[in-house]
Amino acid sequence: MTTRTNMAEHTAFLNVVGAFKAFGESAVLKGVDLAVGQGEFVSLLGPSGCGKTTLLRMVAGLLAADRGTVALAGKDITTLPPHRRDVGVVFQSYALFPHLTVAENVAFGLHARRADKAEIDRTVRRFLELVHISEMADRSVRALSGGQQQRVAVARALAVQPKLLLLDEPFSALDRKLRETMQIELRRLLRELGTTAIFVTHDQDEALTMSDRIAVMNQGVIEQFADPATLYRAPATRFALDFVGLSTRIAGRVSTVSGETLKIETPMGSVQASGAFRSGAQVLVAVRPERVRLARPGQSAEASPAESNRLSLKVRDLVFQGARMLVYFDSPDPMLPIIAEVSDGEAVRLAPEAGMTLDFSWSPDATLLYPAQS
Amino acid sequence: MMARRLDPVALLAAPALLYLLIVYAAPILYLLARSLHTDAGWAFDAYTSFFADDFNWKVIGNTLRIALLVTLLCLAIGYPVALALARAKGWAQVILLAAIILPLSVGVVVKAFAWQIVLRRDGVVSQVLVGLGIWDEPQRLLFTEAGLVLGAANVFLPFMILPIYSVIRQIDPRLTEAGATLGASPWYRFTRVSLPLTLPGIVAGMAFVLSMSVSMFVIPSLLIGDRFQTLATLTGRSFLLMRNEQLGSTTAVVLLVLAVGIVVGSSLLARRLGRHT
Repeated sequence: MTTRTNMAEHTAFLNVVGAFKAFGESAVLKGVDLAVGQGEFVSLLGPSGCGKTTLLRMVAGLLAADRGTVALAGKDITTLPPHRRDVGVVFQSYALFPHLTVAENVAFGLHARRADKAEIDRTVRRFLELVHISEMADRSVRALSGGQQQRVAVARALAVQPKLLLLDEPFSALDRKLRETMQIELRRLLRELGTTAIFVTHDQDEALTMSDRIAVMNQGVIEQFADPATLYRAPATRFALDFVGLSTRIAGRVSTVSGETLKIETPMGSVQASGAFRSGAQVLVAVRPERVRLARPGQSAEASPAESNRLSLKVRDLVFQGARMLVYFDSPDPMLPIIAEVSDGEAVRLAPEAGMTLDFSWSPDATLLYPAQS
Repeated sequence: MMARRLDPVALLAAPALLYLLIVYAAPILYLLARSLHTDAGWAFDAYTSFFADDFNWKVIGNTLRIALLVTLLCLAIGYPVALALARAKGWAQVILLAAIILPLSVGVVVKAFAWQIVLRRDGVVSQVLVGLGIWDEPQRLLFTEAGLVLGAANVFLPFMILPIYSVIRQIDPRLTEAGATLGASPWYRFTRVSLPLTLPGIVAGMAFVLSMSVSMFVIPSLLIGDRFQTLATLTGRSFLLMRNEQLGSTTAVVLLVLAVGIVVGSSLLARRLGRHT
């Protein structure tokens, strides 16, 4: 073990090293490292089956790792049973105790830790207030709506003031509006309490909205671990690009290399980008739709600087989304769509129609480049 | 007015009710009538003399004691089995379930004879206990209360396991996990989460086994014999040996009242628990 990893172990509040887990023949986690700082809100984002819930259960102690270690607050907890870890969990199904009232559910962990009666009452009241369900204290949890059950589950997990809170897709059963409210409330609450949290989700918007950092997971590995803006603007891998947000993707071949600047030939024309590829390499050129500028032919000069990448493309489809409009263009590969996003104001000015040819331009700085097969 | 009309679906129970009326209610009413009828006319004489006799109180005591012991033994053995059954997966579960249900297809008489062999002085139980050094010399369990409880518990065990198993299966396994992540030890989780949630199953299982073991006839006849009387064996003796139909009817009615008390009491209890769980 090198000095650098030792340093990381000392600074990180939660430190997972080399987590490996296989169910039968299939490896669900293939040696995952994850270091989370104190007070941080980290999301594990990925499609179902990527190993995010497995990693979460391993940190909670509900699942034993085949290999790898978990350390929390400088203490190795790899073999500690869940009830000695001080790691709270909010389950996807909430897992409220159906035979107890709201207040009894919240008090459960405090009773289990043998807190004294007055202390328990005070803490329960405080946390019910924090999640705005004080008036339901004596109700049966079965009489609550999904959103209310969610609040009880959060209050119950937080009432014991765990070192670390894990949330397993806690909003997936809520309708969209309620989900957005709960996201903001939970984020504020955790910030107030200074709780370190790991949040499992397959919803990129949820992850982008709530997280300090996001770990994008795919097939048992973390593809990228970065803050939301970096993740969105500079996806490290092809998978991260595909999974988070929309993008135009065009296959091409590097034709000339001059220092960092590359010229790439694509079926639609040549484009410029910067990156470390050799001449002749097969690459995938990508750009986020809102970085693209559209213009009627001949009006491009005023719309974008001269050094821009510029293609002339035929509009195939328009998707109106209220504040913005997505413009889909004819693409040589149906798996690699070509998309631009325009604000509604711009859409009115541009008045795009299917079949119309438009200038499609973007800055070389906004160009993302990946190896063709990754 | 609409609300008072009979739900047509309820009529589906009519054939069963009619059947029970003919084969069950009618003979019971006949028994009740027999127990209340004397040469001098209708009177409670049979009951006053029945309850005046210490022997009969001892019989009632025997019946309840044995039934309770059998039930508790079934619960002690059955609850862990139900847990294991609910936890088991795939073939293990199929095999366990078959092992629990298949013995029901072996007649009670056959099982009781098998227990006679097992409980003999040179039987398996005696040999094992001596071998383990728990007993100094071989002893006979056959024709003792312990032997009766052992044998009866074996016969009624599935009726304890299955209701508890069906309740456990419906409990979200995340609940005990949630308890663990809240800092509850395994014992705390068991007493505060698993046990309260499985209580309706325990009540149902106990009601089954209690009502079957207060009224069992064949098992005590074969495993303990005539020295030891329960309400059911006394009823049988009264009709078959003593030809005393009035005594037989009286004991049958007392037994019925006990059984009805157990069933009604436990369903009320289960309903109350069901409201909480």
